[in-house]
Amino acid sequence: MNLITITTFLPLIGAILLVLLSLRGSENQKAANNLYRYATLAITLVTFVVSLLILAKFDNGNKLAQLVQRTPWIGSLGVYYHVGVDGLSIWLILLTTFLMPISVLASWHVTKRVREYMIFMLVLETGMIGVFASLDMFLFYIFFEITLIPMYFLIGVWGGERRIYAAIKFFVYTVVGSLLMLVAIIAIYFYNGKATGSYSFDIVEITNNIQAGYQTGKLVIPGSVQTWLWLAFALAFFIKVPLFPFHTWLPDAHVEAPTAGSIILAGVLLKMGTYGLMRFNLPFFPEVSQKAAPWVMTLAVIGIIYGALVAMVQPDMKKLVAYSSVSHLGFVVLGIFAFTDQGMQGALYQMLAHGISTGALFLGVGIVYDRRHTRQIADFGGIATPMPQYTTLFLIVALSSLGLPLLNGFIGEFLILLGTFTSPVPHAKLFAVLAALGVILSAVYLLWMIQRVFFGEITKKENEELKDMDGREVLAMVPLVVLAIVMGVRPMVFLRGSEKAVTQVKEYVMGKPAPAKVAENHQER
Amino acid sequence: MQLNSLNLNYWAIAPEVITSVAAVLIMLVDAFSKKGARKVNAGITLVGLLLAVVAVAGLNSVGQGSYFSGMVVVDPIRVFFSVTILIVSIVVTLLASQFLRDEALPPGEFFALILFATAGMLLLAGAGDLVTVFLGLEIASITTYVMAGYRRYDARASESSLKYFLLGSFATAFLLYGMALVYGATRTTTIAGINQAISEGKVEFPALLMVGAALMLVGFGFKIASAPFHLWTPDVYEGAPTIVTGFMGTAPKAAVFAAFLHVFTQGFNAGGPLGDQLHHVWVTAIAIIAALTMTVGNVVALSQKNIKRMLAYSSIAHAGYALVGFITSDAAPVAFYMLVYSIMSVGAFAVVQLLARAGDQKTETADYAGIGFETPALSFALAIFLFSLAGIPPTAGFMSKFFIFKSAWDLAPNLHWLVVVAVINSIISVYYYLYPIVVMFFRPLAPGFVKPRISTMTAVALILTLIGTFYLGILPNRVMSAIGHSARMAQVQVGLPYSQVANK
Repeated sequence: MNLITITTFLPLIGAILLVLLSLRGSENQKAANNLYRYATLAITLVTFVVSLLILAKFDNGNKLAQLVQRTPWIGSLGVYYHVGVDGLSIWLILLTTFLMPISVLASWHVTKRVREYMIFMLVLETGMIGVFASLDMFLFYIFFEITLIPMYFLIGVWGGERRIYAAIKFFVYTVVGSLLMLVAIIAIYFYNGKATGSYSFDIVEITNNIQAGYQTGKLVIPGSVQTWLWLAFALAFFIKVPLFPFHTWLPDAHVEAPTAGSIILAGVLLKMGTYGLMRFNLPFFPEVSQKAAPWVMTLAVIGIIYGALVAMVQPDMKKLVAYSSVSHLGFVVLGIFAFTDQGMQGALYQMLAHGISTGALFLGVGIVYDRRHTRQIADFGGIATPMPQYTTLFLIVALSSLGLPLLNGFIGEFLILLGTFTSPVPHAKLFAVLAALGVILSAVYLLWMIQRVFFGEITKKENEELKDMDGREVLAMVPLVVLAIVMGVRPMVFLRGSEKAVTQVKEYVMGKPAPAKVAENHQER
Repeated sequence: MQLNSLNLNYWAIAPEVITSVAAVLIMLVDAFSKKGARKVNAGITLVGLLLAVVAVAGLNSVGQGSYFSGMVVVDPIRVFFSVTILIVSIVVTLLASQFLRDEALPPGEFFALILFATAGMLLLAGAGDLVTVFLGLEIASITTYVMAGYRRYDARASESSLKYFLLGSFATAFLLYGMALVYGATRTTTIAGINQAISEGKVEFPALLMVGAALMLVGFGFKIASAPFHLWTPDVYEGAPTIVTGFMGTAPKAAVFAAFLHVFTQGFNAGGPLGDQLHHVWVTAIAIIAALTMTVGNVVALSQKNIKRMLAYSSIAHAGYALVGFITSDAAPVAFYMLVYSIMSVGAFAVVQLLARAGDQKTETADYAGIGFETPALSFALAIFLFSLAGIPPTAGFMSKFFIFKSAWDLAPNLHWLVVVAVINSIISVYYYLYPIVVMFFRPLAPGFVKPRISTMTAVALILTLIGTFYLGILPNRVMSAIGHSARMAQVQVGLPYSQVANK
């Protein structure tokens, strides 16, 4: 059996087992709930271990997809079950499998319909891994959509007060983007089929065909429709990222989602958008991507600054973290559209770093929410005194999120800014300078929040007796903190794996020649 | 005329004969047995329908072609649509048993009506002649009029039945008048003969043909509830007993689609200057009707508070999607779509039927509040059917829409806008399909909810439809290749046939 297939479907098998498990008596609800929790934790941990085997087998020096499985699925359409990992996806798969056990630990307090909750979590994991592992557009689309349903239920059933509104908004926004992407997928299928005589949804094959088309001058996709198709893909992914001005679903979804939902949403689901940009938009439509780059970068920079400014004035901690996501994901998009090695490497790194740090921030907010049932900054103050361990860990996480050197956020943001500064895209230097403002602003809103929540006098009586983290919470938080530090100190461990794939994507967009020459071409056009 | 030139082959009408005989048998059993032969009648119905399935499967060995001097044809369209019709009939029969007992309605006639309707629909799907089209349509329609009013004491059901009857007759009149004009123009009523007459330029009054085709389009449009001929649908669907709604919203629609495909994509799809002109006109007309149907169905469904009305408008919208596939004259995606639509829709109506209780009291969406985890089997089943209707993978609804969009994008290059309209409509539809799910799972429980009892036969029906929804959504290969014959025939004008792709 293929390792990736196992990793993808192990959680689904777990979910099916949980469905069957319920048939047994439910006399002792508490014991049963614990069984569901431990079972789910075990499944996610096993999945993580299997995904580590993928990493062990992964060859950093190879730019092609590895551990590939390709089995015919729908013959009449030329659809294959085609999965594999390359430098773009390997770390995102690991991020998913790593965050899942932590999310399960973070959900220990869920008491409502535990079994259904865990089933949805496991189905969601399969969908997310599938998105990153798919090398067939059809398969990709199916996994992309499958992630919607469990998340929709997680928000809608286990969410906060305005959960219904948030769940519907999340679903409808995403579907709008993805259905238009479906039309684009069908169109590419036919253009590729007519140009090459081979009808297939294979991402690798189509990418090669399109790139070969640029070499020989016989375009696979006519220039006139490229813009439309690019837009269809980009809309789906921009909504998912979310890039300003498509971000409005995100704060609602984050605030209403249960803690684990927020961790997964910020940690993994948003990355599906940025991953999609690198997997589809850049290799499929190099010319349009080049033309669009200044516009996309503009939106990204607006998102960085706007997200940070809005985060600054949030009275709600979770909403603050949600808007900080808008800002940080703006960096990722900026790095992707810089079309430089550093920029894209930084973008990939920032995806991981953001997954770790923001996941940890949501976890941290969830911990105080469990104790006080409020997330308002004004309800806290001085809780460093009763909760010293919590304060220490949260502070490290916040510092990693705002990009302190030797922590993970710094590497990503630094590489992105460097990459943007040296980018061939017009006005890139200006964008880099403006984006750097976002770094400063993120320090402002995070440190200000920390000051108001953790330090100073204890103003509320309820906060005096707050319990510090228990063993389970420490167990969930510490791996994230450790990883944040490791990623900050030894970035090459992670960067090496994606190096070749990133260079490949850059060459897809910019062509093989030296960047300077391409820049000239660009200005002529 | 020599007898053997008529090409009499009773195996070619075996499914229709079997279902009719079973229906007559039930009427006899009902007349001679004491009250309450419900289980016996249900058994006979099921056996009859299963034998009909076997007979349909045997049609392939009868050989493709036309029989009874062109009255009946055997082709992939007929075989596939017959299977669709029989699946719906079987599911409805399974559900009917509990429905009839819960409401204490006479069981005999109901099963006989199902069988007669099935016989009519099978004939309609296999019609090779306009006369057989009319015959099949009338048999199927009249029985469904009666079924709609089966709950005689209920004013809503009677209203539904009467409306259905009046408007259905109105539509039939259009169709019949159209047939008469087409006959006048082409001097034949067989579909193959019409095609021949047009392509050989033997049509003496082209205007007559055009008007006739237009009237037939209106007639068929009424029957499949396409806009602007859809106005009867919501009232009729709401008033009829839910199980009947599930039946008449799916099987007759599929059967009419089969006849529609035969007449338009085969009869009115001929060569020659007149044929080209006619083809262009009807493709344009159907493209406009499709866009209108999808949009009206989906937009009006958004504001529905009653789940049966919502499903009624959704069925209008789905007819629109199927029409998008229709314009390419490639029958395979349309046939697949109608199969999938029938399965998921009849499944959804089955759940609605169970939750509505006797007399259809609880069909408002608000009645569904909070039942999600109270009766998980029903609510998750309904959620899956609704996701499927919305076209979310990995359900069959997604796969069928995908085939339609792909086919239309490929074979109708000047109608790409229609695919975009269809996709935008799919987006709109997500909203109202999600709404019952929101109400079921995210809202607190409404007071006075009693868990419905699910009989074994009902459970079997639900499991069958659920399996179908996932099977066709994940592994559509086998079913698609079963209709692939017709697909490949229509595929000639495209660069690369399917088979070559599959063999790659």
